[in-house]
Amino acid sequence: MAGEPWRGVVALLELNGVVKVFNRGNVNEKVALDGVSLNLVPGEVVTIIGSNGAGKSTLLNVIAGVYEIDAGTIKIEGREVQREPEHVRSGYIGRVFQDPALGTAASMTIEENLAMACRRGKPRGLRRGITREERELFRRRLSLLGLGLEGRLTTKVGLLSGGQRQALTVLMATISSPKLLLLDEHTAALDPKTAVTVLALTERVIRENNLTTLMVTHNMEQALKIGTRTIMMHEGRIILDISGAERKHVTVGDLLKMFEQVSGNTFNTDRVLLTRSF
Amino acid sequence: MPFDVVRGVLEQGLLWAPMVLGVYVTFRVLNYADLTVDGSFTLGAAIAARLIFAGGDPWLGTLLALAAGGVAGAVTGLLHTHLKIPALLSGILTMIALYSVNLRIMGRANLSLLRAETIFTDAARWLTPGIAALLLSFAFVVVVLVMLYAFLQTELGMAVRATGDNEQMIRSLGVNTGTMKVIGLSLGNALCALSGALVGQFQKFADIQMGIGMIIIGLASVIIGEVLCGAPTVWRALLAVVVGSIIYRAVVSLVLSLGLAPTDLKLLTAAIVTLALAFPVLRRHFGWRTLARGGSAAGIERRG
Amino acid sequence: MLLACGVLAALIAGCGGGEKSKTPAKKVNLGIIQIVEHDALDAARRGFLDLLAEKGYKEGENLIVDYKNAQGDTSVLQTIADEFVREKKDLILAIATPSAQAIAAKTQDIPILITAVTDPVAAKLVQSKEKPGTNVTGTTDMNPIKEQLQLIKDCVPTVKKVGVIYNSSEVNSQVQVDICKKVAPELGLEIVEAPITSMNEVMQGAQSLVGKVDAVYVPTDNTVVAAISSVVQVCEKNKMPLFAGEANTVEKGAIGTYGIDYYKLGRQTGEMALRVLGGEKPQDMPIESQKELTLTLNAGAAQRMGVILPEEIKGKASKIIP
Repeated sequence: MAGEPWRGVVALLELNGVVKVFNRGNVNEKVALDGVSLNLVPGEVVTIIGSNGAGKSTLLNVIAGVYEIDAGTIKIEGREVQREPEHVRSGYIGRVFQDPALGTAASMTIEENLAMACRRGKPRGLRRGITREERELFRRRLSLLGLGLEGRLTTKVGLLSGGQRQALTVLMATISSPKLLLLDEHTAALDPKTAVTVLALTERVIRENNLTTLMVTHNMEQALKIGTRTIMMHEGRIILDISGAERKHVTVGDLLKMFEQVSGNTFNTDRVLLTRSF
Repeated sequence: MPFDVVRGVLEQGLLWAPMVLGVYVTFRVLNYADLTVDGSFTLGAAIAARLIFAGGDPWLGTLLALAAGGVAGAVTGLLHTHLKIPALLSGILTMIALYSVNLRIMGRANLSLLRAETIFTDAARWLTPGIAALLLSFAFVVVVLVMLYAFLQTELGMAVRATGDNEQMIRSLGVNTGTMKVIGLSLGNALCALSGALVGQFQKFADIQMGIGMIIIGLASVIIGEVLCGAPTVWRALLAVVVGSIIYRAVVSLVLSLGLAPTDLKLLTAAIVTLALAFPVLRRHFGWRTLARGGSAAGIERRG
Repeated sequence: MLLACGVLAALIAGCGGGEKSKTPAKKVNLGIIQIVEHDALDAARRGFLDLLAEKGYKEGENLIVDYKNAQGDTSVLQTIADEFVREKKDLILAIATPSAQAIAAKTQDIPILITAVTDPVAAKLVQSKEKPGTNVTGTTDMNPIKEQLQLIKDCVPTVKKVGVIYNSSEVNSQVQVDICKKVAPELGLEIVEAPITSMNEVMQGAQSLVGKVDAVYVPTDNTVVAAISSVVQVCEKNKMPLFAGEANTVEKGAIGTYGIDYYKLGRQTGEMALRVLGGEKPQDMPIESQKELTLTLNAGAAQRMGVILPEEIKGKASKIIP
């Protein structure tokens, strides 16, 4: 399948035989990742699909350092990072979660949230938390969202709608230009109209900053439309990895058929089948 | 006579305010139910009293109390973040340990500072007599308020606030939330110990038992302040805490001057705290609208 | 010296029936159980040990003292009591009511001497003051409250209203306040209560009495006594004469008291201990009150609170603190 693009380039992200087992030695034992290997070249935007429990979110979480892995290696720009704690890896990995409430601090203002995002990976000292230049920067960036937030810098984030918060989170995840951006179904909890806006915003910032991105989605249409490569996961393994010309001609129907072929199952997420293109 | 009463209430309210601000930092800002305060309050009084008793400088004693409180808070934080002991238990452990430490510091259970040189007797020399204590406690509170506010606006202060608000979010921005908790607990307990040092010198005694129940008094004051003043911004929230502290003392004074036993005051205090803590649940049940609490109320709903 | 010899002889004679009587150098194993560190309680303990020492029981020579303090934790009292019973102490000194109750519940055999217990009958330690009927005897520190209120009248003849600051959750204090209210009318006084519940309310409690009373009385209340400096401060500032239920509090700045000297009470308990060691049965030894009330005055405090002490009163004082 898609094996060619990264030859000769140092992979930005390189996973080798990554295994993650939950509740090991317990009746609830679950192999969430079963030897996952994956390479991403700089600037590559990869969408991940798969049925519920396929290991998509776990994959993002082990890359981000939320969970320690049981076997394998995770390299970023050639350096092994699987031992680094979450907050250290967060210094160069931007994340947006499904729940808009998770990505922002509700009791703090918009500008405070953005200012904290600006200091991603930098030591926090007793310097002023927000500088005047930053406020200007925030205003400019927020005005690009077209949500009117540029005039509400001192509004508490808790007072914003879910869509506004998620848009803000996307901005926060990317404002300090991380090496890697992880999006975990970040439009799933939004109403369709807001989801379109947030997705458009996401695509724009990825393009403008040339961000290497892993995006989990439950929407196959979206998965094929966005980015340059799509992988499909099932029971903790990558069962499909398509890119380039091959991917251009694939339809949602083809994807479902491929899934059945490779996994011997039918796709078990109603949501996926019901989802219409926007 | 009425002026005396007002002055008494203001003095007490202001002297206890750093403790209440400390509880605000741990409980509201850091979202950590920290029981260390019962011990660190006494710790502050013990250190100041012992130093004064030994003929030391009361100002130095007050400063040392502040530092020691910071250490006590850091111990609780480290127990929680490094040894993974549950939050509540970490505080209780430090509080219990401080009982012995405080007894060691004082050398006995009770130290009287009557006619000893304290920061208040010192201040009476260069401030208007009669209101010297009031002016000094006011000055302390202003300094604490301004410094605390300034801290909460720094990079570090904002990271501490975010840790209390949304740990996952601030960790995903590259902040070690464990360190932030240690810093927040250290700050909160430093303020409690400062308050203990002030109250000890003002009431002219330090006693091994004087910190008992501090956490509830602190919480009640924080909540009274928030309900009466609202907390739409950090600055307003801090002011509300100080107002809460004064109101709490006014209520105590009122109860006492009516000759009522403050026995029932404890029940009332517990009721106020219970009501305020149960507020989000009650509101969901009865469909109440937000009070004048602005962002705080929204903050409570962050899980929704 | 002669007396000491006599006591020792009596001790040996008393143990005569026992099997160990052949060793005259037998050491007495004394266990002391105390609820909390407190000036009065510590003084009682010192008095007890001083008296024993004077009468020939030297610690480390023929007396082994095992002093255990529960630091205010009643569960620790249980542990201490168990330990004392297990180690088969010869004699136990229990200081203050909770300590006495803890040890009395564990043994009916080892003689227990109590001190600083206000009401041993109510605490179910003895059947009656006159004839304990149990292995418990000792001294009570029930305050001579009527005499103390009389002292206020003697020093401040114009006094009408007396404020009483006390912890409403201490039973011991409630008892004393009830006695105050009972005897006050006989003396033509009116009691104004200022109940508090924690030592941090004491100062405000004192302030609440300003302008309402002619004098302030503080009973033997652990909470108020702990915070007595703040009461003294308020009383001095507002010229409210402060009287106390114990001499320790007078030393800390109250004007005066008739009362129990805990050191002497400890000594008196020590005398009783000698009798027990001499073979007397606690069952038959009446609970004793302090024999002679000592009048303690604090001249400096009187002056700072605007009271001129009558010469006649001064003459009766056993101690006047300058």
